[in-house]
Amino acid sequence: MTDPVLSLENAMLTLAGNAGDVDILRGITLEVAAGETLGLTGPSGSGKSSLLMLMGGLERATGGKVTALGQDLTSMTEDQLAAFRKAHMGVVFQSFHLIPTMTALENVATPLELAGAGDAFERAEAELQAVGLGSRMHHYPSQMSGGEQQRVALARAAAPRPQILLADEPTGNLDAANGAAIIELLFGLRDRHGATLVLVTHAPDLAARCDRVVEIADGSLQQIARAAE
Amino acid sequence: MSFAISARIARRELRGGLAGFRIFLLCLILGVAAIAAVGTVSSAIKAGLAREGAALLGGDAQLEFTYRFASPEEKAWMQKTATTVSEVVDFRSMAVVDRGQDAERALTQVKAVDGVYPLVGKVSLEPAMPLAEALAGIDGEPGAVMQRVLVDRLGLAPGDSFKLGSQSFRLMAVLTNEPDNAAGGFSLGPRTIVATPALANSGLLVPGTLFETKYRMALPPGSDLDALELASQTLFRDTGARWHDSRNGAPGVQRFVDRLGAFLILVGLAGLAVGGVGVSAAVRAYLATKTGVIATLKTLGATRRVIFMTYFIQVGVLSLVGIGAGLVLGAAVPMLLAPLISAALPIPAEFAVFPRPLGEAAIYGALAALLFTLWPLAKTEDVRPATLFRDATGRVSGLPRLPFLMATIALLAALVGTAAWFSGMASLTVWAAVGVLGALLVLALAAVAVRLVSARIAALKWMRGKTAARLAFGAVGGPGEAAGSVILSLGLGLAVLAAVGQIDTNLRGGIAQDLPKIAPSYFFVDIQDDQLAGFHARLDNDLAVSRVDSAPMLRGVITRINGRPAREVAGDHWVLSGDRGVTFSDQPPRGTKVVAGSWWPSGYEGPAQASFAAEEAGELGLKLGDMITVNILGRDIEAKITSFREVNFSTAGIGFVVTLNPAALAGAPHTSIATVYAEPQAEAAILRDLAQAYPNITAIRVRDAIDRVASVLGGIASAVSFGAGATLVTGFVVLIGAAAAGEGARVYEAAVLKTIGASRRTILTSFALRSVILGGAAGVVAIAAGIAAGWAVMRYVMESDFQVAWVSAIAIVVGGIIAVLLAGLAFAWRPLTTRPAQVLRARE
Repeated sequence: MTDPVLSLENAMLTLAGNAGDVDILRGITLEVAAGETLGLTGPSGSGKSSLLMLMGGLERATGGKVTALGQDLTSMTEDQLAAFRKAHMGVVFQSFHLIPTMTALENVATPLELAGAGDAFERAEAELQAVGLGSRMHHYPSQMSGGEQQRVALARAAAPRPQILLADEPTGNLDAANGAAIIELLFGLRDRHGATLVLVTHAPDLAARCDRVVEIADGSLQQIARAAE
Repeated sequence: MSFAISARIARRELRGGLAGFRIFLLCLILGVAAIAAVGTVSSAIKAGLAREGAALLGGDAQLEFTYRFASPEEKAWMQKTATTVSEVVDFRSMAVVDRGQDAERALTQVKAVDGVYPLVGKVSLEPAMPLAEALAGIDGEPGAVMQRVLVDRLGLAPGDSFKLGSQSFRLMAVLTNEPDNAAGGFSLGPRTIVATPALANSGLLVPGTLFETKYRMALPPGSDLDALELASQTLFRDTGARWHDSRNGAPGVQRFVDRLGAFLILVGLAGLAVGGVGVSAAVRAYLATKTGVIATLKTLGATRRVIFMTYFIQVGVLSLVGIGAGLVLGAAVPMLLAPLISAALPIPAEFAVFPRPLGEAAIYGALAALLFTLWPLAKTEDVRPATLFRDATGRVSGLPRLPFLMATIALLAALVGTAAWFSGMASLTVWAAVGVLGALLVLALAAVAVRLVSARIAALKWMRGKTAARLAFGAVGGPGEAAGSVILSLGLGLAVLAAVGQIDTNLRGGIAQDLPKIAPSYFFVDIQDDQLAGFHARLDNDLAVSRVDSAPMLRGVITRINGRPAREVAGDHWVLSGDRGVTFSDQPPRGTKVVAGSWWPSGYEGPAQASFAAEEAGELGLKLGDMITVNILGRDIEAKITSFREVNFSTAGIGFVVTLNPAALAGAPHTSIATVYAEPQAEAAILRDLAQAYPNITAIRVRDAIDRVASVLGGIASAVSFGAGATLVTGFVVLIGAAAAGEGARVYEAAVLKTIGASRRTILTSFALRSVILGGAAGVVAIAAGIAAGWAVMRYVMESDFQVAWVSAIAIVVGGIIAVLLAGLAFAWRPLTTRPAQVLRARE
């Protein structure tokens, strides 16, 4: 295996709850190779979304080590993490998480602008055209359907051409037809740009399209399987 | 039936507590408390004046005469009516300390008293001694006591001598308390008290000089003040005698407190309007979270009426809580601060819980709460059950139904009408209401414009790449209500402050800077006829003197117009309140502009004729040919108005409302008044020469008088600024409310921005820029509204010129930006520090 793009060594996450500390992740060790598509599955509350958050530096591990592209995410400050994501990562959420005060075009252009791209809006336009939203560029999120919002979110994540794409149940809030369309778009983007894709999903058919599937239960890694197996 | 159901549902809904209503309650509490506190302080002063009425007046009742002593008949009536009568003579003079070449001179308000003064209260002296002992003097020289400020100004110490007119006095003690001082009202010179008999050889109380006599009466217990007032008016109606009694011991002060209190309550109402914006925003925000509940209730069969009543009851209960807390605060703060307030006031105050101002504040609070919540409450009717299946946070737009619009207009009319009735200043109230509504309308339009322009700016190609700025303009211009409530509340608060700033700067500028350029250096009063030639001779040869005007002056009261009591005909006009200067002249004096009728022929000796100031005649409703009766020295002179002339009172020059033909006043003792326009460096020599030559003449340095007026205006301006400050505090609370309400959205936005790579610096810059945009917009509109209000007040109320006070205006914009910046940054901490995962996970 070549140098892993993502690497977790005994990564732990404990959060403070009203009834005391809750162990969300109990020492995960895992590597993701460049260009690989990894599926994270497991029952609700098993910790798979939290694992994705650790990989994206959106959550800080309370133990162990998380490395992305050779850099230790656990020792970075908030701003260093933001800068790292800006340069190398795209994230797609189940609830889309578009900025409500921005139009679709502005939402997609923002990460490009943050990265200092002089042609941010032109590229954002092209990205929206690619996901089939050429005619909805100047609409606010509240004026769009769930499927359309997720396509904007996808375009926003893919626009800076990240080396790592993280997707947290991207079809969870969508109907079957919209869900299928989003999956096609997601895998199409990965194929076209050669990014490493980690996605959390409950859907067996979606997991089946991954190179490898990891099952999480009760904060621990239960099983690693090749999708084909 | 529907009310009972609504009440039950409302009770269940309120189980959630008052957490979402902190801003609602705070706005209402502040607005009501400010009005209640102003009313309570004003009532406390009035109660103090009533309690101390006899002491302030110097007796149970008083008859006052202008530059004459009471006649034997008048004295007899007073002796018969009262158990004791005390005579006090009040006039201005120059106190002079002779130190060879360097004589010190200062204007003083002299009170000459008899042996029984004071009838009520106690005079305090330092060193302590009885007043009678002090006034008796020493070594054959009569004694005097003076206020500390005058003693210091003249460089005196007890035991030193000084002169009033040609009489020498020995300063025996410093006057530390004079019980009847507040009744004297505004005075230009500090007090000196002497015994009246000691003035016999002073040359100051000769016929024609300006003095007032006050006869204070101690009345037998149970005296009927109404009956005595009526008797005095019936007996002495035409002699110019004026009655005062202890029910209103300091009428000038009471009137001033009434007016200032009413004006401050109007400022307080502007504060309530600012709070109303916050109240309205809070109710809208609360109801937005209830859209799902409302839709569910409708799905279950609730009618529009039940829904409206459910939330009306909730808001009503909360309003009562807010008004109640505001009243407690408004009554308690003045009581707690009573020692401080009493120490700062020159007049007595008696602090207590006064039901009337509290009731007034409660009514204002209730009307404002109804006015500002009715509209959002009415919109609950328009929430459709289908909302549940599509967009549970969707807002309802458009106007509410006609009955609600009518009710809104009725509530507005009730609020303005109540304020006009309570304040007794209908015209000012209506104009203030027009101003506040106009400002609100302009601010609402400005908010829409700011959003549109911001959205446009955010979309400009030029903005691309300037991420923080584009995010800020995009947020201001995008969906959401923050821009509206921030610009409305802060803008209105700043507009009130801007208007006060513009008016204050213009008024003080006019008096302290512009007036000295056109005003004379000195007023000289009490110039005897045989002194006039020498007086002019000294000044005419002085190259530093550019102009000297003089005119004979008597003082008289206009008692009747066309045979009827003047106040019955023309109301409470300043020309009719008390005595006014009256002059006579054979020819129209230099610069006179007769605008109607004609001046009497030279040497005219027929029935008395009068020339009246044109503007004041118009206000009194006088026409050419009307008869006016002027009481001078107890004698009625009835004259026909044969001309109107322009008189400009704003230049501090000589101006008389009434001029009579000389024959009408033949034989009346009089003195002359003169104004002297001179170079500043020549002023001291002029005063020295004239005061040495004519010790009875009183000189009033106009610069000193202007300083005194400016300092009184400064005090009023600070009181009003405090009122406007309360408005601004309410605006700031609304601002904090808007910032707090928007915190959740900003936390979310920051989480998403961090996820896509934004640094905290970029996010903070974007937040700060939003504050600058909103604060700047509110400040700019506030300046425009403040300048418009300032211009209107100066032009139409003060009838003066207006100049934009840019320093005050710019301070307002900067203040607005800083206020929004502080409120915004106070709520930026959580968005910046919260980890994205926590926020985003909660939204999944």
